[in-house]
Amino acid sequence: MKLNIEGLLVYFPYDYIYPEQYSYMLELKRTLDAKGHGVLEMPSGTGKTISLLSLIVAYQKAYPLEVTKLVYCSRTVPEIEKVVEELRKLMDYYAKQTGVKNDFLALALSSRKNLCIHPEVSSLRFGKEVDGKCHSLTASYIRAQHHSNPSQPVCQFFEEFDAVGRQVPIPPGIYNLDDLKDFGRRKGWCPYFLARYAILHANIVVYSYHYLLDPKIADLVSKELAKKSVVVFDEAHNIDNVCIDSMSVNITRRTLDRCQTNVETLQNTISRIKETDAAKLREEYRRLVEGLKEANVARETDIYLSNPVLPDEILQEAVPGSIRTAEHFVGFIKRFLEYLKARLRIHHVVQESAPQFLKDIYEKVCIDRKPLRFCAERLRSLLRTLEIADIADFSAITLISHFATLVSTYSKGFTIIIEPFEDRTPTIANPVLHFSCMDPSIAIKPVFGRFQSVIITSGTLSPLDIYPRILDFRPVTMASFTMTLARTCLCPLIVGRGNDQVAMTSKFETREDFAVIRNYGNLLLEMSAIVPDGIVAFFTSYIYMENIVASWYEQGILENIQRNKLIFIETQDAAETSMALEKYQEACENGRGAILLSVARGKVSEGIDFVHHFGRAVIMFGVPYVYTQSRILKARLEYLRDQFQIRENDFLTFDAMRHAAQCVGRAIRGKTDYGLMIFADKRYARADKRGKLPRWIQEHLTDGSLNLTIDETVQLSKHFLRQMAQPFRRVTTRTFLSLFNDLNQA
Amino acid sequence: MRTRYNELLTCFSLREVLKEDESGSLKATVDDILFQAKRKRVFEGHGQVRLGMMRHLFVIIDSSRSMEDQDLKPNRLTSTLKLMEFFVEEYFDQNPISQIGIITTKNKRAEKLTDLAGNPKKHIAALKKAVDGTCVGEPSLYNSLNVAMQTLKHMPAHTSKEILVIFSSLTTCDPANIYELIKTLNALKIRVSVIGLSAEVRVCTILTRETGGSYNVILDESHFKELLMLHVKPPPASSSSECSLIRMGFPQHVIASISDQDAKPSFSMSHLDSTSEPGLTLGGYFCPQCRAKYTELPVECKVCGLTLVSAPHLARSFHHLFPLEAFQETPLEEYEGERFCEACQGELKDKSIFTCQACKKVFCVECDLFIHDTLHCCPGCMQTDRTS
Repeated sequence: MKLNIEGLLVYFPYDYIYPEQYSYMLELKRTLDAKGHGVLEMPSGTGKTISLLSLIVAYQKAYPLEVTKLVYCSRTVPEIEKVVEELRKLMDYYAKQTGVKNDFLALALSSRKNLCIHPEVSSLRFGKEVDGKCHSLTASYIRAQHHSNPSQPVCQFFEEFDAVGRQVPIPPGIYNLDDLKDFGRRKGWCPYFLARYAILHANIVVYSYHYLLDPKIADLVSKELAKKSVVVFDEAHNIDNVCIDSMSVNITRRTLDRCQTNVETLQNTISRIKETDAAKLREEYRRLVEGLKEANVARETDIYLSNPVLPDEILQEAVPGSIRTAEHFVGFIKRFLEYLKARLRIHHVVQESAPQFLKDIYEKVCIDRKPLRFCAERLRSLLRTLEIADIADFSAITLISHFATLVSTYSKGFTIIIEPFEDRTPTIANPVLHFSCMDPSIAIKPVFGRFQSVIITSGTLSPLDIYPRILDFRPVTMASFTMTLARTCLCPLIVGRGNDQVAMTSKFETREDFAVIRNYGNLLLEMSAIVPDGIVAFFTSYIYMENIVASWYEQGILENIQRNKLIFIETQDAAETSMALEKYQEACENGRGAILLSVARGKVSEGIDFVHHFGRAVIMFGVPYVYTQSRILKARLEYLRDQFQIRENDFLTFDAMRHAAQCVGRAIRGKTDYGLMIFADKRYARADKRGKLPRWIQEHLTDGSLNLTIDETVQLSKHFLRQMAQPFRRVTTRTFLSLFNDLNQA
Repeated sequence: MRTRYNELLTCFSLREVLKEDESGSLKATVDDILFQAKRKRVFEGHGQVRLGMMRHLFVIIDSSRSMEDQDLKPNRLTSTLKLMEFFVEEYFDQNPISQIGIITTKNKRAEKLTDLAGNPKKHIAALKKAVDGTCVGEPSLYNSLNVAMQTLKHMPAHTSKEILVIFSSLTTCDPANIYELIKTLNALKIRVSVIGLSAEVRVCTILTRETGGSYNVILDESHFKELLMLHVKPPPASSSSECSLIRMGFPQHVIASISDQDAKPSFSMSHLDSTSEPGLTLGGYFCPQCRAKYTELPVECKVCGLTLVSAPHLARSFHHLFPLEAFQETPLEEYEGERFCEACQGELKDKSIFTCQACKKVFCVECDLFIHDTLHCCPGCMQTDRTS
């Protein structure tokens, strides 16, 4: 259908549209008009992706000079594929309606592992191996060697691409990962490099967050994207954590050991090259004297996405003399390494700021701040000069060099914590140096600064105002949309008491209480008797889950539950968990019924959807607060308080509630779906918690569903499930929708 | 004694195939959906549809632990069995030439309560006895469907083969992959319908969808009864089922008084195997083919295998074939004229009224349902017929 959104003609590939999709597009258009950033929340299953795509594509077609490119960032490969499929539907619709052949180029980009078609390389199992192997076949000096020595293996796909691929543009169309591979096979071109090259002139790019947020990758892939792009972060409720992770470094003793080996390899290579090809090292030296001017020129003309690891100032300068020659640099690294080793040899926890660390390192081993800042660049240059093919082996030393650059560049926003052992196992020495970023805005700042519109969207972004604060940007629109439903297909219930009136809570003081654990068990038992097919239960942490399940076993509750349903448990082992998931789905499918016990913040709570019968009820045992004793968290909270005036409690509650909302949101993945959402903790009934749930859940949370006992919950659930089982046809929604359309067009 | 032979076409092949219902817009509330479902029942029979008049129905009653739940009073089992008794009577009332059988499932096993038979008394007696049974363990959908299938698969192709499951539990304990069984059931053209007593279970959804049955979940007792009654009406026959001619006998009831000299008391054939009822009687129905005596109809002659029915029985199933046309629904505001229902003479208060297409008389919702569900003929038309 065709829509008129404030004067913009939008083609929408479906026959009907939900009202919330319409208002979503409206807000989106206003954001694009204002060339600003936006935060939009809309529940999953309401067609967020297609609304986004159809509006932005329409905008691109209408104002080709205003918006040149759409960069769509998603989290996982399946999600990327889903976006591309929606896009294909949209483009087909355009072609059918307008009769003009599609001239849009849209493509998905993923890692080499997902795109490689080289027979040997693509058979490798791990991403790192594929990257390393690919590099060893495509690096410039390898190819140079191949010229003189044809027996040196190279990748024929890359060679072919390099020879002709850049001149011939890839024909317009929609390419998902498989399409790219097919195209690559047909032409004999490397799909990965083709895609990387093609994103420069593509109209729509779909890829993972990391290509924009992780400074190490963003520099390679995304730095030449046009300024007039619209960037969309989908499922962005965790974007602050992604930013922080991309800027944080953890160094263990093992890292240092591997780094040691790296250094030795470097040293050997240097001495070998010195004997054979001293001119090469001299050439590098000359280049370094001239400084990183070239990079600077590029940045001034604003073609590049600035790299937060490489701060502006150092581009003005030449690499300091002390690390210019290769031997000196290796010696420097060695000293740095020894220092780190010494720091890890401790018996108590140390927390210090970056300036403190720099002062200490200067006093102990006479390492200045300045050469440290150039560490990452210097290492890259050295690796290039030494023609080391397999970079995968050098990840340890790269990590250390990044750490060195970051610690000497940023005096604010980071903290260094050295822990001699893990909290759980105080007897086993396992020293770790956490260099942790506390300010997510550092990583995302270049994105906001560079692109004219950045849209952050997800099903759960409440409370909306906290994201602009922690990411430090000013949105022009902030909006939360709810679902219009033909029937109330979600039923949030807050269970606060057991039948014996003992309060149910995972509060630290009472979580070991026998009565609380028993009541939790009874709740699950009762629910297992009345909810059909699948139930997903979330705990606040693995340890808590283990304790509770052990206790249930002793009390015989587990045995009773098993009479109703099978029980599966998520563990920290990924293979085990995916096995459990598979069996869980089988049990739901064939009528046996199953319960999946899992953990908020775990793999299940983030990436797995439990549509229809796979999740008829979600039970959230307790409030999923993050582990508050962690020193990293404490440091971050302190930072948030000092810098952004966000109180600890506010942030913790916000974080807990967004995870709780994520967990319970797993059950409803569309309008025909239905599910119970049970919050089993009396604290959810408080206004400060309840108010932080997304609007579309809050709406259905009436006063009658707060602080229930188990019996009341069972009665309400039974009633709800029977109501939902009544025949429900599309007709119902459609009449409603066409009604809306009439209103809209009138 | 005059004997009348008659041959009857059981499968009436008529012109049209059943159309999906277009019962119009459903409103948001479940109440409205339910009301529409009621209307749908009225609509569904319409159009000239070929119906499977000769039905073989197995009812599977879940007797697992969950039947002890007291959300139906006094408990699910008692309530279900009570309704089943009513259902069996209604069923034979409306489907005189059909048979029924009852299977119970508990403790992971399935057990035949009664075999396929056409005598309501036997079934009702068995149901009455079953009330005292205990509800233990889990049901097995697979086993019970399998038991039913073993019998149904030998039934001739022109009959309608059906299974109705009354499923209270939310789990089933199966010895093998139930999806294979569903495929087999589909191949044998056995239609499986499910009435759920607690909530929607995935496997039942698939089961009914694949075999062409219906799946409903009850809201309360009255809804349960309503859903059960939906299964009283013969379902439309699948287009591929065969048509064939069935021989039937219509024995007359012979009443003999003691004073009659020729009258000799004799045993009814149907009581041969049961010892509970008194044996010798004077009158009865005599098979037109072999003159075996029966005290009740309908029955299949034990001697010659002829189906014995009475003419009123057949007449009762007649309305299934030529149902009363649906009345036209119009909003009350648009109606101009006297606001009284032609049937009950009550004031028309509901938001819509119903007009008979033939006589143009106006009826209220309740009367519309009553006319279509029970009377099967329009009182307005009857009146005009007489006057003209």
